[in-house]
Amino acid sequence: MGLEFLNRVRRTTLIAGAVGAVVMATYAGPWTGLALAAGALWSLLNLFAIERLVVALTGRDRGTPATVKAAGWAIAGMALLFAAGALLLARLPIPALLVGFGLPFAVLTLKAASSLLLGSRVWRATVASPWRAALVVATVLVAAWWVVPGLMQRPAGAQTAATTEHAAPAELAAAPADEHAAPAGGEHAAPAGEHGGAHSESKGPQKFANVITILARAFPDAGWAHFLHEFEAVIYALFVALILSVIAFLASRNPQMIPSGLQNVVEALVEGLYDFIAGIIGDRHAARFVPFLGTLGIYIWFMNLFGIIPFMDSPTSSLNVTFALGLIVFLYAQWIGLRGLGFVGYIDHLLGQPRDVTGWMLAPLMLPIHILGELAKPISLSCRLFGNIFGEDMLLVAFVSLGITSMSFLPGWAPGLPLQLPFLFLALLTSTLQAAVFMVLATIYFLLMLPHDDHGHEHEAQHAHSH
Amino acid sequence: MDFHAALALGLPLGIGIAAIGSGIGLGLIGQGAMQAIGRQPEATAKIQLAMIIIAALAEALTIYAFVTMFLLSGKI
Repeated sequence: MGLEFLNRVRRTTLIAGAVGAVVMATYAGPWTGLALAAGALWSLLNLFAIERLVVALTGRDRGTPATVKAAGWAIAGMALLFAAGALLLARLPIPALLVGFGLPFAVLTLKAASSLLLGSRVWRATVASPWRAALVVATVLVAAWWVVPGLMQRPAGAQTAATTEHAAPAELAAAPADEHAAPAGGEHAAPAGEHGGAHSESKGPQKFANVITILARAFPDAGWAHFLHEFEAVIYALFVALILSVIAFLASRNPQMIPSGLQNVVEALVEGLYDFIAGIIGDRHAARFVPFLGTLGIYIWFMNLFGIIPFMDSPTSSLNVTFALGLIVFLYAQWIGLRGLGFVGYIDHLLGQPRDVTGWMLAPLMLPIHILGELAKPISLSCRLFGNIFGEDMLLVAFVSLGITSMSFLPGWAPGLPLQLPFLFLALLTSTLQAAVFMVLATIYFLLMLPHDDHGHEHEAQHAHSH
Repeated sequence: MDFHAALALGLPLGIGIAAIGSGIGLGLIGQGAMQAIGRQPEATAKIQLAMIIIAALAEALTIYAFVTMFLLSGKI
């Protein structure tokens, strides 16, 4: 419980405050998010000032001019902080500000409680055996499954009553509009008419039915089916991750010197990926980045191919999943840049590395260009993957429905023509290619962010050679 | 012309126009890569890698049009 503990509290609060502020800004409006962030920041600065004051007043070398000065600064800073706090209270939504103020203390309490818990004998006894730990986790999950809906019951019930009341006139008003839209977007109107506005399907063109949509149609009023349907892409993505984990576990469970079977296949894949990525990023960095980039490539490849399995759906045909992947690559690339180049070097990189008068003249122009270029990377990565995989699915849907309609002059039992067959092979090709493209582009973004000093030396050597 | 008709006419046209540009770009990329491979067959792997990357960049423009179409097609 020393200063190191306070440091950890500060770091956790910063992360939690940033995440909470982003979430609040998304769901409750930008001012609420800003208020939460400002409150957390204010509270942290206040804690910092108090810590300085306490250290200065009770530290070993108290009374020396330096500590007196530090204490004075801390008091002045606190006075300033209180003025700023009054301003914030007047300007920003107060509840969110109060939550922000309380955040460091909540983190402090939770951390202290968890350190007490981790030291206790009960915890150690539970953790010692994996079966006992699994039992406890299962008990907690089951308890949460029963208790949380009970707690949510009253406000949620009131809310649904209110929304249905509101929805009734809206539905009436929407009915003629739906009829009007029916000739233009036929599939759109069908699910909307099935069970009213409350459970309306997501807009836009329909894909093949998969297990989850079938379940959601079979149990239109069940909460769990609605939940599954809402988080369909995430669930399939996690399922693919589970499959890959099981494959990796089975392949590496009992490694042989002379591989055979599954281990052989996986080793060949991993080695091929390693050589491929090392060929782009260089042998020096390969060992550091291949685990991430190779996993990304294999994961995307499997997610793309997953949609070809009947009753399954590609998670990558949802923009949410691909944007998450693009965002991961973007953040990792910036992290590499910040770590490898340092903060000043990173800014220098964004300015286009000005070294002479022309460079500095161009720097104000280069900065927005570079920033926009960096921001465009995740968007282009995610839109490319999403568009290709979604387009591939749509193509299959179009040709399946064409095959069915082309045979519809026969009696009802006639099967459709398998017109989608050639496009299944195209789907195999684009799935593989897009996974490779995503991986290669991620590799290149990393490469651009790495400090390329050896590259520069090569350049200089060439210059020297040509002179 | 009302909004829906304009959208219904404009979206497929937009994709088509974007596809023309991407197609020209892809053709040029392919031409350059094939010529380079013909001149220097031993560098095939490197040339193919660069070709695929640049082809992905050129193709992305059509994909953007495609995504835009799907974003807006719900409004028709």
